[in-house]
Amino acid sequence: MGAVRLVFDAESRPGALGHPSSGAIGPIWLASIRDLQWRSRRFLLAVLATGVVFGLALMISGVANSFNVEVKNTVGALDARLWFVPTGSLGPFTVAAPFPARDVAAIRQVPGVTAANPILVSRALTGGAITTSVPAAVSTSSEQAVNLIGVVPGGVGSPRVVEGKPLGGRDSAVVDESLGVKVGQKIALNGARFTVNGLVNGVTYFAGQPVVFVTLQAADALTADGQALATAVLARGMPTRSTNGFTALTDAQVRADLGRPTAQAAQTIRLIEYLLWLVAAGIIGAIVYLSALERRGDFAVLKAVGTPSSHLFFGLVIQAVLIALGAAIVGILVEIPMSGTSQMAVRLAPSNYLAVPVVAVIIGVVASVPPARRAARVDPALAFGGGK
Amino acid sequence: MTLLEVTDLTVEYSSGGYKVRPLNDFTLHVDKRELTVLLGASGCGKSTLLSAIAGLLRPLSGSIRVGGAEVVGLGNRALTRYRQTSVGVVFQAFNLIPSLSARENIEIICRTAGQSRTAGRERAEHLLELMDLGDRMHHRPGSMSGGQQQRVAIARALALDPPVVLADEPTAHLDYIQVEGVLKTLRDLADADRAVIIATHDERLLPLADHIVELSPRVASAATVEENRSLKDGEVLFRQGDPGALVYTVESGLIQLVRQRDDGAEEVVSEIAAGAYFGELAPMFALPRSATARAVGPTVVTGLPVSQFRAHMRSANTV
Repeated sequence: MGAVRLVFDAESRPGALGHPSSGAIGPIWLASIRDLQWRSRRFLLAVLATGVVFGLALMISGVANSFNVEVKNTVGALDARLWFVPTGSLGPFTVAAPFPARDVAAIRQVPGVTAANPILVSRALTGGAITTSVPAAVSTSSEQAVNLIGVVPGGVGSPRVVEGKPLGGRDSAVVDESLGVKVGQKIALNGARFTVNGLVNGVTYFAGQPVVFVTLQAADALTADGQALATAVLARGMPTRSTNGFTALTDAQVRADLGRPTAQAAQTIRLIEYLLWLVAAGIIGAIVYLSALERRGDFAVLKAVGTPSSHLFFGLVIQAVLIALGAAIVGILVEIPMSGTSQMAVRLAPSNYLAVPVVAVIIGVVASVPPARRAARVDPALAFGGGK
Repeated sequence: MTLLEVTDLTVEYSSGGYKVRPLNDFTLHVDKRELTVLLGASGCGKSTLLSAIAGLLRPLSGSIRVGGAEVVGLGNRALTRYRQTSVGVVFQAFNLIPSLSARENIEIICRTAGQSRTAGRERAEHLLELMDLGDRMHHRPGSMSGGQQQRVAIARALALDPPVVLADEPTAHLDYIQVEGVLKTLRDLADADRAVIIATHDERLLPLADHIVELSPRVASAATVEENRSLKDGEVLFRQGDPGALVYTVESGLIQLVRQRDDGAEEVVSEIAAGAYFGELAPMFALPRSATARAVGPTVVTGLPVSQFRAHMRSANTV
């Protein structure tokens, strides 16, 4: 072994007792990355576990979003300016008060009303689709509850289709794509058979239950023993006076009515979403805390040789943020298959996905503060303890 | 010029609720090119002294000067700078960072002090070459022998070319073959215009030393003769932290053993009545007294050196 000959000159030593050199964050970045590699299995598990939690939170967020989106879509699909409901009714969807469909005549006579048609909002059970191309009828989906809306074909409330033809005769139906049937297929509604004329997109309510549009007469036959009843009158124009026995609601009021049954569920789901973010923070915090405990000796040595406490603090913050960002990627990847298996609608905008890494960084920083503070407070004299 | 001056250094800290004073008015001067060995049993204050010189703990009183500049009382930022540039420490059990390679363990010190990545890497490689570890640069500590790890630890201590190198039990985890290389390196360090201070209880290091300091001094012969003491009420026979040479037997009266708590209060550990003995551990194991002995009322005690005390006990048992 060669002798160590290093020249010492106390006077020329730069700033022997001057200000500390804080250096760059580079060395602590190096130490953090190497530690992640050193304990890679544990950190990988943390990334996967946190990623699944992120994915769940994202999916839950999509479910909560869907409540708002579907309400907006459904009300928008009926394309009315005003909704007339019997006075005393809170709205056409939640507290429906049927009235004779002929009452629409009184509304049409209101000055300013340019068009008005009755609708009937109800519910039905579908026995599933029957493929017309197969001679022997084959059920392709199980029994499912649907929201039934009877409208006047071509009138106010008649939906615009994204595929196929608009609503036609009494045995025709326009259904939401989420029902999983194709144009031309037959579906059973409360035992009666309808042919799917066309499809609409995103028209669901009550947590993803698809809407099926049929003619008003067909809806009356299915749910009102054939009586000519309606639950609301949809109108266009600018009425200049009120109508006896009816209250006019705007789209916003109808949206509030439609969202009322799911409002508490949406709140609960949001709460679960926040709890999931908290769980993710807990996992990251626990893993980084464990790392901080195990590295106490390392931190003591680093402090003893002149590493500023702030570097140790940021070293653990970096680790937590890297875990959180890794988990964000995993979360986005696992959300897609998870949402595919969900029975409830999951609606996520690109901004929701972009928000995940941002939230992850915030979670990482917050979760790392307790262990990072612990690391920064390590007594450097521990380095003389003779072990770790 | 004296490179390191430790003057009247007293260090006190809390341990298990009691005040411990491992160093009391300790003085040490070390020159350049001098290798000093601090010798003593575990717990005698060797590591405490190194910690104080390294700026890792603040003494109760006294002075530490390196190159003429006072260290005691420096603020946190100045202390950090002092640790970076003025002292290099070789820790017991190597204390290398296991996730970093040999080169990175040194490079990180250079870069923390503000050196560029390239400069830090070159410095680390240069030091490892000097330590004959050129082929081990990319190895992690776990895949290196104890001797190799210790040489990396020494290279790390030299990373910023400090004038003072401190080594805590540098041979504790090495076999005799590895010890040889490490001892030679430490000697060479001192010869290269440095002051090297080694804390150890390994007497194999003594031939290397220019200066030996015994922190748990062997009992002086003058203090090992029998003595009889008559104490007045409240008179102190010995104090906590004093060196101990004799085992005492209470002939008459009562001795109270009290220990000072870290909150300043005194705690009575035990009371020794006539016929009983106390204070045997300090002389047997070369430890400081762990409590203060104080007379309660007029008291007479006899102090015996350990060998005489053993003989006395054997004869008493025989009778």
